[in-house]
Amino acid sequence: MAMLERMDWYDLARTTNWTPKYVQEDELFPPELSGSMGITLEKWESYDEPFKQSYPEYVNIQRQKDAGAYSVKAALERSKLYENADPGWISVLASHYGAIARQEYHASLSEARMARFGKAPGQRNMATLGMMDEIRHGQIQLFFAHEHVSKNRQFDWAHKAMDTNEWAAIAARHMFDDIFACRSATEIALMLTFAFETGFTNMQFLGLAADAAQAGDWTFSSLISSIQTDEARHAQIGGPMIPILIANGKKAEAQKFIDIALWRSWKLFSVLTGPIMDYYTPLKDRKQSFKEFMHEWIVKQFERSLIEVGLERPWYWDQLLDEIDWQHHGMHIGTWFWRSTIWWNSAAGVTPEERAWLEEKYPGWNETFGTVWDVITENVVEGRMEQTYPETLPVICNMCQLPINATPGPAWRARDVPLIHNNRRYHFCSEVCKWVFEQEPSRYEGHQTLVDRFLAGQVQPMDLGGALKYMGLAPGEIGDDAHQYAWADAARAERIKKAG
Amino acid sequence: MDNTEVLKPLKTWSHLSARRRKPSEYEVVSTNLHIRANGEPFELDPNVFLSQWYKKNCDASPLKHPDWNSFRDPDGLIYRTYNMMQDGGETYVRGLFDQFNEREHDKGLSPYWAGTLARLYTPSRYLFHTLQMCSAYLAQMAPASTISLCASFQGADSFRWLSHTAYRTKELSLAIEGKGFGVDERHYWENDIAWQGFRELMERTLTAYDWAECFVALNLVAKPAIEETVLRKLGEAASHNGDTLFGLVADAELADGVRHRRWASALVKLALDVPDNANVIKEWIAKWQPLADHAIDAFCTALPDVPDAAEKAKRSTLSFQHSLFDQ
Repeated sequence: MAMLERMDWYDLARTTNWTPKYVQEDELFPPELSGSMGITLEKWESYDEPFKQSYPEYVNIQRQKDAGAYSVKAALERSKLYENADPGWISVLASHYGAIARQEYHASLSEARMARFGKAPGQRNMATLGMMDEIRHGQIQLFFAHEHVSKNRQFDWAHKAMDTNEWAAIAARHMFDDIFACRSATEIALMLTFAFETGFTNMQFLGLAADAAQAGDWTFSSLISSIQTDEARHAQIGGPMIPILIANGKKAEAQKFIDIALWRSWKLFSVLTGPIMDYYTPLKDRKQSFKEFMHEWIVKQFERSLIEVGLERPWYWDQLLDEIDWQHHGMHIGTWFWRSTIWWNSAAGVTPEERAWLEEKYPGWNETFGTVWDVITENVVEGRMEQTYPETLPVICNMCQLPINATPGPAWRARDVPLIHNNRRYHFCSEVCKWVFEQEPSRYEGHQTLVDRFLAGQVQPMDLGGALKYMGLAPGEIGDDAHQYAWADAARAERIKKAG
Repeated sequence: MDNTEVLKPLKTWSHLSARRRKPSEYEVVSTNLHIRANGEPFELDPNVFLSQWYKKNCDASPLKHPDWNSFRDPDGLIYRTYNMMQDGGETYVRGLFDQFNEREHDKGLSPYWAGTLARLYTPSRYLFHTLQMCSAYLAQMAPASTISLCASFQGADSFRWLSHTAYRTKELSLAIEGKGFGVDERHYWENDIAWQGFRELMERTLTAYDWAECFVALNLVAKPAIEETVLRKLGEAASHNGDTLFGLVADAELADGVRHRRWASALVKLALDVPDNANVIKEWIAKWQPLADHAIDAFCTALPDVPDAAEKAKRSTLSFQHSLFDQ
């Protein structure tokens, strides 16, 4: 064999640090962009990425992956999958693409920041491939979503959502900007790749891929599992940073950035992923509950990977475990109730069979969240539709940008964690969101939530119509009940039977 | 609501649907992807450091255009087609490596030429890495996704060139002893007079943080100078010294370079919609070209067997720059 093996020359390709002479090290790697925390160039050179891939391997493997994903799509285009899909599943697709596709592309710019400002040569090379990966994920998900634009105006939001002031888009931007787009190379490695990609994207992409396969959506299933194989590589950019940070006395900083990113990811997933896994995905197609996925991918696996790299569980671990039981149920009621303010149709997911499943997965659901759905169901059955829509605004957390809510019922625990900072009153959903703010107030203090903007008169007229206009939502794309309230049929039949 | 119009599904994204024609796959997946809601770089405090960085180095750049989003890559490359193209390119280059290794090409090189390779070729992985880093900067700062994508692919191509060099460095180190292959590259890059011009040019280009100045310094000045010298002129020297492989690999890399010049030319053409931009670009070229000329001179002085190498490399760079304003 006249060819060298990858590892014969790989180390040379990542021996590229040099000592700058014509500019200062801090000019070449500005601390705010590199996140070097005073650690000099040579100390980063021990960086060793566990997932090694060379350029020729990359273009070859990626060509094959794309060939696979695009050919599944092409083969199934005439299968009427979309036409025959449960409306709840269509909602899964519409919400996923709108929240994710452009943000994936956006992540390529953060990978590019690591490729430029990372002080570890191995990190710069891996991030060059990561930059390419995220271009892939942005482009392929836009292309796959685009297939549906002529059938459903809501799929326009796969491209449009991130340009609007729709509240979920604001929440997604705030969170993604905070964990990658507006971060330094080191912070991106810790927050995007280590905290978000080794934990949450596993759950979104492998969890949803399992549900998609069950639902017969092979196109989506093969798409997102193909994406996850890229994540499995570039998610490993962050891990090797941690021993270097610890060795240079920066363990507390590493821990803090990861703790912030994990919490912020959790809150966004509680509104975007929790409802689609436990309410939108047709009952027969649910592989596991959101809570089970969270326990498998975050509680068990992420905790293990934290300990392995020499860090600790986040200080708020008990609160996270507690919230996994209930937070997304409240978020689901919120998105259903304010359904005209989202770009997908909310699937209530509360037929008697679905409620039985929820009670089994979340013991006590009927006594708590179920009581809210009892009232909603009764209003629907009685035709009091006006009472199924909101007349007020929720209180929104100044960190996660999501409505502050908790478990209803006798043990009502809704709370607002306030903070007065520079004469402004901020509201937080939790001690943890407040803690995130306090880590670096100047990062967040000048931002206004959607409700802040409403109260400041930026939304005109100050009614639902004005709010929808501000959010960029018009009839034909605004959300509705995904099943046209068919989930209330059983209750209606019961009512008729009793009356009869 | 007073808005009675109910939106109907469109044939494509709403931002593309005003036009009559069907968008290409390139346009569907490449246009208007940067996230700039309400004109702010981030959905955070508007004064956060990186937000100010973008407002200064992107929004307030002296190079202005009302619609950078209208930029289109003349090659229309997307991720999917990039990998098809470069997997083919790598199959070709690796085929060259395989065949030349089979016939023990490196053992036939003269000690003199081997020394030249150790001094003037294998240290280029540092130079190519600066192109990789600088392209990644341009990608994250450019005002339109269609520009960023070209810069990203250019960054990946630079990593490709670096990878070829690293591969060849290892091969040469196995075939030829005593020339310091795989060991002395950093020393040459940091100390040899032949490299100091390019090192200075790239250290300074890497710190040209205005996005458009970075584009001009990198794509209109530094890259043409590097391609004409470190690839083309060194390739000519190689062919005079029995090193056929070098020229074939350099040609494969130069094909990437030609593509980079195509998108750079298209971007300049778009920029020239605004009359003031011609001067902005010309002034930046005038500012950066002396560093590039100095780099070409320093490198070519060390280059054997290519008469007038520096003059010809400078002339080629200049003729590319002139072509930009004659489109």
